[in-house]
Amino acid sequence: MPPALLMSLGGLALALVLYFAFGWNLRRRTDQTRHRLEDALKHLFDLEYRGRRGSLASLTGVLRVADRVALDLVSRMQTQSLLVTRGSEFDLTSEGKRLALQVIRAHRLLERYFADEARLPLPKVHAAAERGEHHLSPDAADRLSASLGHPVVDPHGDPIPTRDGFVPPAAGTPATAWPLEQLARVVHLEDEPPISYAQLVAAGVAVGQTMRIIASTPERLVMTDGENEFRLAPAVAANIFLAAAPRDSGQRSAARLADLATGQAAQVLGLDEACQGYSRRRLMDLGFTEGATIRPALSTFAGDPRAYEIRGTLVALRRDQASQVLVLPQEQVS
Amino acid sequence: MASPTAADVLHRAAELRGTLTAQFRDETVKSIYAEAERVARRASHQTGSARYDFDQRIDRLVTSPIFGLPIMALMLATVFWLTVAGANVPSAMLANFFFWIEGHGAALFDSFGAPWWVTGFLWHGVYRGLAWVISVMLPPMAIFFPLFTILEDLGYLPRVAFNLDFLFRRAGAHGKQALTMAMGFGCNAAGVIATRVIDSPRERLVAILTNNFVPCNGRFPTLIMIATIFVGPLVPAAVASLAAAGAVVGVVIIGVIFTLAVSWGLSRTVLKGEASAFTLELPPYRRPGVMRILYTSLIDRTLFVLWRAILTAAPAGAVIWILANINIADISIARHIANGLNPLGHAIGLDGVVLLAYIIAIPANEIVVPTLLMVYMGTGMMTDVTSIEDVTNLLINQEGWTLLTAVNLMLFSLLHNPCATTIITIYKETLSIKWTTIGTLLPLGLAFLVTFIVASLW
Repeated sequence: MPPALLMSLGGLALALVLYFAFGWNLRRRTDQTRHRLEDALKHLFDLEYRGRRGSLASLTGVLRVADRVALDLVSRMQTQSLLVTRGSEFDLTSEGKRLALQVIRAHRLLERYFADEARLPLPKVHAAAERGEHHLSPDAADRLSASLGHPVVDPHGDPIPTRDGFVPPAAGTPATAWPLEQLARVVHLEDEPPISYAQLVAAGVAVGQTMRIIASTPERLVMTDGENEFRLAPAVAANIFLAAAPRDSGQRSAARLADLATGQAAQVLGLDEACQGYSRRRLMDLGFTEGATIRPALSTFAGDPRAYEIRGTLVALRRDQASQVLVLPQEQVS
Repeated sequence: MASPTAADVLHRAAELRGTLTAQFRDETVKSIYAEAERVARRASHQTGSARYDFDQRIDRLVTSPIFGLPIMALMLATVFWLTVAGANVPSAMLANFFFWIEGHGAALFDSFGAPWWVTGFLWHGVYRGLAWVISVMLPPMAIFFPLFTILEDLGYLPRVAFNLDFLFRRAGAHGKQALTMAMGFGCNAAGVIATRVIDSPRERLVAILTNNFVPCNGRFPTLIMIATIFVGPLVPAAVASLAAAGAVVGVVIIGVIFTLAVSWGLSRTVLKGEASAFTLELPPYRRPGVMRILYTSLIDRTLFVLWRAILTAAPAGAVIWILANINIADISIARHIANGLNPLGHAIGLDGVVLLAYIIAIPANEIVVPTLLMVYMGTGMMTDVTSIEDVTNLLINQEGWTLLTAVNLMLFSLLHNPCATTIITIYKETLSIKWTTIGTLLPLGLAFLVTFIVASLW
């Protein structure tokens, strides 16, 4: 083959490779810009929601980018009229809020999905939703919301915005500001920063628990759900949001199904709040509803799972499932 | 006051929905149950509960911490023993009958003056492949499937899942995987489809990838034949079939151990995650319906599996005949390939012919044994292999098989890649080329590794 032909062929191949590499890189970068822009909107909205304002410093901190990149992002948002500057602080326009709510809606719906249906461990849910939120169109979010049964809050207790951008007002008071000894319900766990959220999950704090604060000092905050004591650093405890406990939280005499002795009959009181999504639906469908009589009937070699007699059938549950069913042990009558 | 607009109403509805808690759903289900209870109480009344107590007593026995697992192993062994002991005679009779037809058919063709290759291709290739598959497979299936269907119909299988769940939980898998494994005894493709009962995607994938470690019906004839030839003679003749059945149970148990070990490994590496929700209904025992059992086991399962085997056996028989009858440099193509595969085969305690048989048998594992025998017989030298003694003679005396060959063949049969149908089914169920590839190559790699280790240690 003549060298000229060889060289031109090689040149052509190189050009092709460069063309595709450039195209790929360009797409990656537009994607990255869009993701950053959405993250920035989300951050600014979040601050406004809590009555604060975003600034260039807060943006560079949250997005972990250089000032130059953040500036570029801000001017981009300004030209798209998503944001107006007021001194050194930013205000979202109504269009900016609308877009931010779309991303937040996608994020929280995905969290709900990952926690309840895909059953990812709770500490991993946030990161998975961070990635997925940029790829869920508003229509897809609607479909997801419908398939999840229009959930109202995400697994951490944050409200999920509706399609037309309505967000229920923030609920709850930080645990550090809650009065001592007054019964409270955990309504929200802040999932940022991930480290303190992981600490809360590891400690066993969950949305829906009824808590009482025993002691609060600058070094330690101690609270109890009647069974376990939780000792937390105030910085961590500030991520727990409490509201007044509903009605009489007289679950003092409630036991967990897993702790019943074999043969001991009991009445189902309900399911633990921590049991959501598929697991909850499944248990409800099987008839684990308030008032049903239940009795552990069979145990296996390892003592787990056990089979429970309920509504004339036998249903086997593993220990983790059975401990999510709250029951009222019946006194042996006859 | 202005009347509210549609947007106001929607907004108000969304606002109110925010005040609904999860209890709203609970209340719905609760009221449905309350209503159902009310209707049931009005429409029916209960008199005594003797049947129920009887069920309870059986349940307490079969799920007993002490007797549960032994009872299970005993049932499995009984099913295999009945299959092994019962299938021998009809298998031999069928083989006799079919080969008698082959002899006469070939003679008829010869008398017409048909060229040798026509007679050979049709009678000694296509027909013989069919005859082998039917006579080797039909009797064990016609015994195994009805027995298995009886256990299924009784309601015993969910109890097995219940008994074994503690193992699966520790392996990070779902207890219902025991059910899909039970289906796998019939057919791995059916077992892969059955994983739909597992609702967690991660655990379902674990069940799909490990289903292959349950020997399916297509592999049982191989296991049973090898066990009969090599394990049977090690013990007195009176208990030979028991020992053979024991060996098959042993292989099944090894399969279960591999299932658990691989599930455990997957749950800690590529499919990381905790064991998730597990609810399993234990239905009341029912008297098996005879007609239903016959229909399910014979039409739905036996004929279905047999038909599939026949569809692959006929072309495979043709391919084997061509490979075994076309000579290059005085040796058949089959022998050439087998010789090429020999080094690899010997390294894992087998030989090239076995590997060739497994390559030809990718469409269906049922034809491994016929392929083996045909290639060993060489160029149509086989006149008749009508009894198990002929096979014994051929394998041990002519081809030099030892107990190691037998053990490794059984292990290889247990662990190697799934058949083409199962591979296609894995793809259909996962819609992922990645998982299909893993589901194919992971068992194959494991099969080579395990047989290699066994051969090295022997």
